[in-house]
Amino acid sequence: MPGVLLVEDDKELREMLKMSLLRRSFTVLEAENGKDAITHFKPLITDLVVTDLIMPEEDGLKVVIKLRELKPSIKIIAISGGGKVGPGSYLNLAKALGADAIYSKPFSINDLILKIEQLLDNEQLS
Amino acid sequence: MITIINRDYIYEKVNSTFCTAHQVVIDTILGKSLEDFWGSDTFKNDIKKNVDACFSGKTVQYEATFFTPLAGKRHFEVVFRPLSVEPGKITHLLAETFDIDDLKTTKQAVIEKEKELRKFESNLPIGFLRCDPIGKILHANGAFLLIADCQDEQTITKMNFRDFYLEEELFELHLEQLSNDQSKNFGRVYLKNCNGKEIPCRISGFLAVNGSGLPAYIDFAIEDCSRELMLENRLLQAQKLETIGSLAGGIAHDFNNILATISGYSEMLQDDLPKNSESSEKVSKIQTAVKKAQSITNQILTFSRQVEQEKVLINVAEVLKETFGFVKSSIPANIILKSRIPKMKANVLADPTQLFRVFLNLMTNAIQSMEEEGGTLSVDIAVVKRELVKDEFNKGIIADEYVLLTFKDTGEGMDPSLIGRIFEPFFTTREVGKGTGLGLSVIHGIITEMEGEIIVSSKKKEGSEFLIYLPVSKSYSFVSDKKSLRKKILFITGNKYESRVLSIALESAGYELIFISDGKNFVKVMTTVRERPDMVIYMSDSKQISPEELIGIFRNHKFLTPCILITDQNLEISDEKLLNSEIIYQQLTKPVSLKEIRNAIQELLR
Repeated sequence: MPGVLLVEDDKELREMLKMSLLRRSFTVLEAENGKDAITHFKPLITDLVVTDLIMPEEDGLKVVIKLRELKPSIKIIAISGGGKVGPGSYLNLAKALGADAIYSKPFSINDLILKIEQLLDNEQLS
Repeated sequence: MITIINRDYIYEKVNSTFCTAHQVVIDTILGKSLEDFWGSDTFKNDIKKNVDACFSGKTVQYEATFFTPLAGKRHFEVVFRPLSVEPGKITHLLAETFDIDDLKTTKQAVIEKEKELRKFESNLPIGFLRCDPIGKILHANGAFLLIADCQDEQTITKMNFRDFYLEEELFELHLEQLSNDQSKNFGRVYLKNCNGKEIPCRISGFLAVNGSGLPAYIDFAIEDCSRELMLENRLLQAQKLETIGSLAGGIAHDFNNILATISGYSEMLQDDLPKNSESSEKVSKIQTAVKKAQSITNQILTFSRQVEQEKVLINVAEVLKETFGFVKSSIPANIILKSRIPKMKANVLADPTQLFRVFLNLMTNAIQSMEEEGGTLSVDIAVVKRELVKDEFNKGIIADEYVLLTFKDTGEGMDPSLIGRIFEPFFTTREVGKGTGLGLSVIHGIITEMEGEIIVSSKKKEGSEFLIYLPVSKSYSFVSDKKSLRKKILFITGNKYESRVLSIALESAGYELIFISDGKNFVKVMTTVRERPDMVIYMSDSKQISPEELIGIFRNHKFLTPCILITDQNLEISDEKLLNSEIIYQQLTKPVSLKEIRNAIQELLR
């Protein structure tokens, strides 16, 4: 099954995401901050990343840039509870930096899973 | 110069000073007549009458300007004194002439200087008072009359400066603090003017002493600092809001994380439970609560300006007009609405749906404050030059012109102590449980994000006035989304005013909107190739087509055009039907921001 990396510093939220992904039989990898995600990145078994944006250590924008660089074909979904850098929101910036989809918290988990499946389906088709 | 002249106007004696000044030899002068010496005109016009007056027995003194070869043209004082050689008869006169030219120049200079000082003192924007040592006012300048709100100096000079002090003891203290020939700054003091109005002033004093070292008079300088105080307060408010904003923004962010967890688990739970079961309904209630909480965190994020606003170039006057129409349709009978919204160009960069919320909120607040007693709500719009704005702003001025919107009511008004706090989140004057108290703080966030300013003034029992300044944008065309170019949206509107604002927003973003009148018209548009829309937006309170009719038309004609549904917070049964009909690709809940609807449209057009 495709591997999904969860990068989220809020433990409860990460576990919720993990449970919902396991229910759909995805392989789930976890990191609790951006630095962790980048240093322990496993390109061979990671097909998609769901990353929070505002986190301690390295933030999610760095994750988007770095992982895209390490594995150009990877799919990235950014999630955030708000916050701006200058005039633009973190989420829009993440999109500009190469995230395939963005969701602001709280989001519908079913919508998110649907999006993940969609992105990975397209991957298999191409 | 001294000369002696006889009754025949002949010089009988002259002194050497006279001869030197006129550069003549004494012999040529003696025996000569005044007329010969000074010329006929000067003698007849200036000299003769004075000489005659002197011979009639008076000492004559006058000033004259004449030429002497030694010093040129100068100013003199001339004194004629009668002389008697024979007793009881005036036979001669003694003429003394003093050069007063230098004295005259000095005097003139002193007068000029005094005039200048008077002018300076009366034009000075600082109030100036001269008082006697116990405070009785001797003189006041124009600026002080303004501060005192008193028409003339006469009235003021009957008063003691002590009368203007809010606390008389403080005045005594200030008098004690003054020491001879030294100025003393008393800092800010509250004075009350002739009409009893309290005015914060900065006061300093100077005690002057006379030759014997006793107090002669006191000079006071009085500066009205109410404006300065107001700006200081405003800056303080702005800083406070900024601090609360970043704090609240951080909390909202953490809350959204928690809400995401709650919402995620409840969705999973919902999937696990049999549909329409009692437990499933309970989970639905959790989800509704999450949505409510999300709307609050969203408002907090808007207040703390953590939300990116989608902006388009729009005419504020149009949005104001729609909002006004919306309010007008549901206004209580005891409230009068007055407006001056002329056809005008007042273009700003904004999300029209946000502005609609701002205007609606201010008008609703105003109406609520007049609900019991009735009253008048006046709404005005004008474009003003930057020069008029600069005194009102704490922040940088970024445009040459600003749109000024005024919302003025005659309602309950506010206590002055509350005015400074009304933009704080969760601050409310209503009863506990009514509203979240977020309204005005969100408005503040939206206006600040637009680099505008919102200012409030209010008086208890008299009413409140809100002024909003928005920078006029000079952009002539607004670069819209490439995706939006020539995309047609069929817009089935609901409540006309709110829909109008949304359509203003979409048209400004570059979409082409199609409106329909009824079901038949709808089918016609949908089946005409040239007009066929790329998507349909349906507002659930639409009057043209009911939800059931919409479902029927889509099914009968097998339309596949994607459809966005906009509903109120509480879903009607017909909304649920629509949602379950598989026609709706996406559902949005009011109030819909331009950003939300644009994202939804772009997602569908992908």
